[in-house]
Amino acid sequence: MKYNYKAKWFYLLLIAVFMMTVSSCKTEKIVPGSEAPKDIAGNWRVIKATRNGTDLTSIIDFSQFRISFTDKGYTLVNKLPFLVSKDGAFALDDPQYPFKITFTATGDKPVSTAFTYPIVNGKRQLSITFSPGCTNNTYVYVLEKAN
Amino acid sequence: MRSYLHIKGKNLWKLCALVVLGIALACCGEQITSVDQPATATVGSVVPITVHCDIPTVGDGGPDYLIFGFLVPKGWKAAQNTTITYTSKQGNGTMSLIPDGTLPKKGDGLTWSAYMKKTFGNGGNLIDDMEWVAYQTDKAYSHTGGVEFIVDLNIKTKVGADNNNMLVKLGYTITDSGNGFTSDGNGTYYSVLLGNTCFEVTGGSGDLVDFCNPQLTTIDPPKSLDNDFVTLTFDGTVTDTQLSGASEVYLCATAYTSDGKTIKVCEQTTKTLLKQTTATSKKYQLTFWPRSFFNAGDTQTITRMEYFLTDKTGKVKVGYGNTDAPFTYTFKCG
Repeated sequence: MKYNYKAKWFYLLLIAVFMMTVSSCKTEKIVPGSEAPKDIAGNWRVIKATRNGTDLTSIIDFSQFRISFTDKGYTLVNKLPFLVSKDGAFALDDPQYPFKITFTATGDKPVSTAFTYPIVNGKRQLSITFSPGCTNNTYVYVLEKAN
Repeated sequence: MRSYLHIKGKNLWKLCALVVLGIALACCGEQITSVDQPATATVGSVVPITVHCDIPTVGDGGPDYLIFGFLVPKGWKAAQNTTITYTSKQGNGTMSLIPDGTLPKKGDGLTWSAYMKKTFGNGGNLIDDMEWVAYQTDKAYSHTGGVEFIVDLNIKTKVGADNNNMLVKLGYTITDSGNGFTSDGNGTYYSVLLGNTCFEVTGGSGDLVDFCNPQLTTIDPPKSLDNDFVTLTFDGTVTDTQLSGASEVYLCATAYTSDGKTIKVCEQTTKTLLKQTTATSKKYQLTFWPRSFFNAGDTQTITRMEYFLTDKTGKVKVGYGNTDAPFTYTFKCG
């Protein structure tokens, strides 16, 4: 008797699981929405910096350094080694899915570099990889909008 | 009493054969028996090096290519400046650079060079500015047949492409393309010979780069320009200096610029303070951006710097090799 009682519950549970599985599958309509163009205008500060993988964030004072992007231009405040050392214009290779950012310092040739734009903890970040000195030395700055 | 160890003649032979085979299998890996390498050379000269190898082929597998790794300073640009041939009773041939696209079977996706670096590191060199350059033979060989290849790898390499004088430990490794740097019940399939002696390069116009002996100060990255962040480390454990026991160590430096000017920064402030890495490490570090540290003008480039370390008063100075002469560092990438 006891055995049957257990089996009944088992079958009930099995049916319940089956029902839940079936009902959980719902066709979603995919809305072919367009990706919003990436707007990086604003004031950005460094929240993390590495040199050849070594973390520099705590040993260099990045607190005063700012990159300010406007519609087409950028300005550097309290300069530190960066892709460019003078103010100028910038461009993204694709406004919707940018992979590359190009800086054109006034009077200099354009320089491009890899660029990612993730959202971390609800905040947009800019991650820029570059070599301001020797090409073998690679730096990554992770920037976040300054208030 | 009955003996349990009762081996008949026939079985004894079998046992002996097994033991002999076991020993043969256990020692069937590639082996570098010795290396002929000069002790010194001048910058720009072509140095002959011979690596003597013994490659027994007991077992089965293959055919595989013989892989050779050459540990050299990056500044030599050895990949462009080296030729390697091999000679053996079974035939001669050449070795060529392994392209980065040809990955070792057991290297977890690393290139041969990276696999060598991961396995053997910098080969006892103290500055992380070395590279393993990987080569393979033009012909493959089989592991069967019991042939023992006695192979000489004849290297001709031009040293000192960066024009630096140096002391460096060169390294050599061999394996085969099938096994890589692995061992199993049949033995070890590679051999490595890392330098015990330091190879000396003289006659260059650049700084002396000493990979062999611990230095009082080091600069990271080893190759950098004035627009890099550089980390200067003073290692008080290398030898006793006048700064031993000093609670604070400061940088006193002079920059030489491309327009023939000198800029001296010799003060004892937070700007020049080297921080001890841990309370008892006796290693002090300062990371700075040379352009800003020396306040170089937009059109100026800092080409080199000379520096001392001082105590808080600025009166006690320690220089190169614990002498009165300054340490020197040239800003360059090659």
